[in-house]
Amino acid sequence: MHLPFIRGDFLKRREFLTGSSAAAGMFALRSLLRQDRLLASPGSTLPLQNPLAVKPSHFVPRAKNCIFIFLAGGTSQVDLYDPKPELNKRTGQQLPESFTEGNRFSNIKLNESYLMGSPFRFRPRGECGTEISELLPHIGSCADDIALIRTVHHHAFSHGPGELEFCTGKDLPGRASVGAWLTYGLGSECQNLPGYVVLVNDRAPVTRALSWGSGFLPSVHQGVLFRGEGEPLLNLTRPAGVTRNVDRRQLDAISRLNQARYQQVGDPEIMSRIAAYEMAFRMQMAAPDLIDLSQETTAALSAYGIDRPGSPGNFSRNCLLARRLVEQGVRCVTICQRRWDFHEDLFGRISDACQTVDQPIAALLKDLKQRGLLDSTLVVWGTEFGRTALTQNSKPTKKSGRDHHPFAFSLWMAGGGVKGGQVVGRTDEFGWLPVEDPVHLNDFHATMMHLFGLNHEELTFRFKGFDFRLTDIAGKVVRKLVS
Amino acid sequence: MFLLFSSIATCWVLLSVQSLQGGSNDTQLASKAEESALDHWSFKPLTRPSVPRVENEQWLGNAIDAFILAKLKNEGVRPAPQADRRTLIRRLCLDLLGLPPDPSRVQAFLEDGQPDAYARLLDRLLASPHFGERWGRHWLDLARYADSDGYEDDRHRPNAWRYRDWVIDAINRDLVFNRFTIEQLAGDLLPAASEQQRIGTGFLRNSLLNESANDADNEEFRVKAAKDRASTMGTVWLGLTIACCECHDHKYDPFTQRDYYGLYAFFNDVDDVDLKLPDGIARVVQATQRESHLHIRGNFLQRSDKVEPHAPGRLSVFRKSGPRADRLDLAHWLFEPTHPLTARVAANRHWQHLFGRGLIATPEDFGVQSEPPRHPQLLDWLATEFRKGQWSRKKMIHMIVTSATYRQSSHHRPELAKNDPENELVARQNRFRVEAEIVGDLSLAVSGLLQDRMGGPPRQPPFPAGLAVDVLKREKLLEPSRGSDRHCRGIYVNVQRTFPHPMLTAFDVADANQACTRRERSNTPIQALSLLNGPGVMDCASALALRMLNNGQVSKDLVRYGFEFCLSRPPSRLEQQLLTDLFNDLRQLYEINPSAADQVVGGAALGQTPVAQYAAWVGVARTLLNHEEFITRE
Repeated sequence: MHLPFIRGDFLKRREFLTGSSAAAGMFALRSLLRQDRLLASPGSTLPLQNPLAVKPSHFVPRAKNCIFIFLAGGTSQVDLYDPKPELNKRTGQQLPESFTEGNRFSNIKLNESYLMGSPFRFRPRGECGTEISELLPHIGSCADDIALIRTVHHHAFSHGPGELEFCTGKDLPGRASVGAWLTYGLGSECQNLPGYVVLVNDRAPVTRALSWGSGFLPSVHQGVLFRGEGEPLLNLTRPAGVTRNVDRRQLDAISRLNQARYQQVGDPEIMSRIAAYEMAFRMQMAAPDLIDLSQETTAALSAYGIDRPGSPGNFSRNCLLARRLVEQGVRCVTICQRRWDFHEDLFGRISDACQTVDQPIAALLKDLKQRGLLDSTLVVWGTEFGRTALTQNSKPTKKSGRDHHPFAFSLWMAGGGVKGGQVVGRTDEFGWLPVEDPVHLNDFHATMMHLFGLNHEELTFRFKGFDFRLTDIAGKVVRKLVS
Repeated sequence: MFLLFSSIATCWVLLSVQSLQGGSNDTQLASKAEESALDHWSFKPLTRPSVPRVENEQWLGNAIDAFILAKLKNEGVRPAPQADRRTLIRRLCLDLLGLPPDPSRVQAFLEDGQPDAYARLLDRLLASPHFGERWGRHWLDLARYADSDGYEDDRHRPNAWRYRDWVIDAINRDLVFNRFTIEQLAGDLLPAASEQQRIGTGFLRNSLLNESANDADNEEFRVKAAKDRASTMGTVWLGLTIACCECHDHKYDPFTQRDYYGLYAFFNDVDDVDLKLPDGIARVVQATQRESHLHIRGNFLQRSDKVEPHAPGRLSVFRKSGPRADRLDLAHWLFEPTHPLTARVAANRHWQHLFGRGLIATPEDFGVQSEPPRHPQLLDWLATEFRKGQWSRKKMIHMIVTSATYRQSSHHRPELAKNDPENELVARQNRFRVEAEIVGDLSLAVSGLLQDRMGGPPRQPPFPAGLAVDVLKREKLLEPSRGSDRHCRGIYVNVQRTFPHPMLTAFDVADANQACTRRERSNTPIQALSLLNGPGVMDCASALALRMLNNGQVSKDLVRYGFEFCLSRPPSRLEQQLLTDLFNDLRQLYEINPSAADQVVGGAALGQTPVAQYAAWVGVARTLLNHEEFITRE
């Protein structure tokens, strides 16, 4: 019988108990020992183990932690990452029919839609010379650490299915998110915080908790949503008169009562509940430190742009929190923001949106690098799909927008064993379809798992008679991406 | 909770370039879909299966059990033993009322040796006014009920609750499902419609509303509301994900874009009005006539063919009562004897609420993409039984909960976990955490704080500390209620679409922006923090402790008394010992820290009980309220 996470706490508990009042410490210790005897009594056959205990990877991992930046709505690769001079030249013309045969669209009527180039300039950045839009000057300055993939593709062209495809590898609800797979595969090295934390800026993805859910995996693997402002979590503060000792004593009783029930009824959800209570206690201890940014230098704070009011400052804070969470050993942090669905007035709105995210994301990459954490932290720029090279049912104007485009769009990875300073894949002259090195999202996910030392075909969970995996029934590691 | 997406996902449509040009090839596509899809089991006419003959009559309670047992025998699986009587009464009380049984009721049930003890218990529960609160909340999930408008402004709807109370009352008086439906879809069109019947159309008024839309957008949001009403109808009564047909024919199911706009046309013929009542206002609808069109790619500005209000006759014959079909015709269509879906969908929902999972696990999708049922004959039998029972909800529930299948133990059966992890065979009952509202109701009930008053305007319980004032302001939340209003049942808590109460959110409350056909059941540290430290936790713990102190003399009895109140069963020796030790330890802790004890007790009158003891009992109570079993329906 193993109870590593509770046992680990036992020592800590003893420390603070003896540190408080000698009398309290003594009786509490006695009572704790009594409980331990109780646990060890014959007939107690609990298969109790920490579902988040660290597990070995399949082979030597390059990455230990993941920061999964999910910019929901569909970021426009044409304006940010995939320059198309030919498209710029042919603005206002119609897309040749050969491109659209067999394609599906969300809102577009082809006969009323026209090619629309990007008004934003691209220039080569870093030593590698990767071309990145002027909308992302700071991210551009990290080009040598970034592996930009211009040919990501899948087939889901609505937000819900697209988000699920991007976050869970399948466009249907019920699957587990990338972060959940990571904690399932590797466990968590953090005893005081959840293995998977979610930070939301502005609005959550349309699939909300499904995008960070655990699907068929045990619910202990689902992402835990932190608040965007103030204390990271509600209800962290104990009620008046419930001292830490009192609380701990009650939590022990709750845990033991639940274990007793588990022996009676055998419901695994009880074990999840016990783990959730233990985690809640440890979160209470760790969370105040986590959000105490006073230990950060003013230079660091302003590098992230935390002093910016409103949503931009909040996004900055989330990026900084992500670094702090990773430092604590949290396996996966999702930073999400739903904002990028610009069916009209795209140029103005994407400029604003980029201003919010560009500086803090670049600051995060540089901060991780400076602290020696980038080598072991995989950072992902994510979105559910790109946007069309076409206007949406209008002549191109300054106020035009673009429709959803899952057939070829841009994502990037950095750190965590990724070979930076390169572009993978090439699209046609309109950025419509991949012409070289297409990367399906399943391939993208397979590569992510590979960086964590996990074989995506072996990391499975048996459910309803099938061995489910993140990459559904496909996926090939993109070797070029791995350094 | 997020089933909309499965709908979108299951029906992306391949659009050939030609079909972008308009609706000219609708018929072609429709017939194609029809060919393959009408073969699907749920679109086939509903016939009453014969009840299988099985041995083991000892176990058989009613026909349901014969269907279940026949399948189990096929699979070589035995049913689970019957749950003990304490579990049964608690299960029944939670399922039917959402409230725990009082220990005295449990005792009476245990001592009732009559063979009809369970039946009499059941009758009492079905007659309780709290039954309407429990089953009303299930319906409000589907009705996307909220006390606010939604969208960015999300203004408060001061009169929405009239519809909520209408639902509770209708369920309590067992307004049969066909009448219940008609009054909500078309109560205003009934001959000599009563005030109450018109209030039922508040169902339609639950659509989101964008008050801040400028004039140019008004039409867009009006059209959106009409589409929401059509889609909601599809989800709730047809169990079909028809929302995708706003833009295109369904890829898998026999439902075309033209069908969708036929339904839309019914709701396009609606105006929102206020009904003046003697004591206020109710939000209702009245009929009007507008020309309806197909919207190309769902864009309301891109009209193509004109569409008359009509329901898809392919599913079941549609009859007009006048030259132009109206919502009353639509409601009657749902209950045509040949309609394949309405009864199946509704019967499945009853099962779902009594087993934690439907016979069809996707109540929002009975279409071609749904998982085939493991007990198709049983579902059809239940559906015909529902119809045979004149659509009485209470009869339906009565039938299900008197089965031996329902009364099985919910203990896990490891030997079945591998082949039937979801318990689709129903070889035991399910054990699951209760819904968000009920989590709160339970604490209030066992502590004796639960407000008696039923119905009325929504209440706003306190928010967790740390929800900054500017957040409250931004979200336009109601001021927290005072007095006993803080302790209302969850169903009466203000439903702010963009900002549901955090405690409810933590426990997966329904998203009021769209019809919710099933709740998620997550299990998180956030929930633990909410139950340990959330607002109101100490109120409940103190009240429960006082209850224990007032009733017990020696500490041993106090533990037992509190335990029975919370869990409807006495503690085992181990549990008794754990809690007695806990009390002793907490008392010692508080004796050396009197100021902490004072903070817990807060100057409450205690009589002879020392402060440290009282504080320790509050700790025991808080522990009981955090027991996993306490918020679990076994």
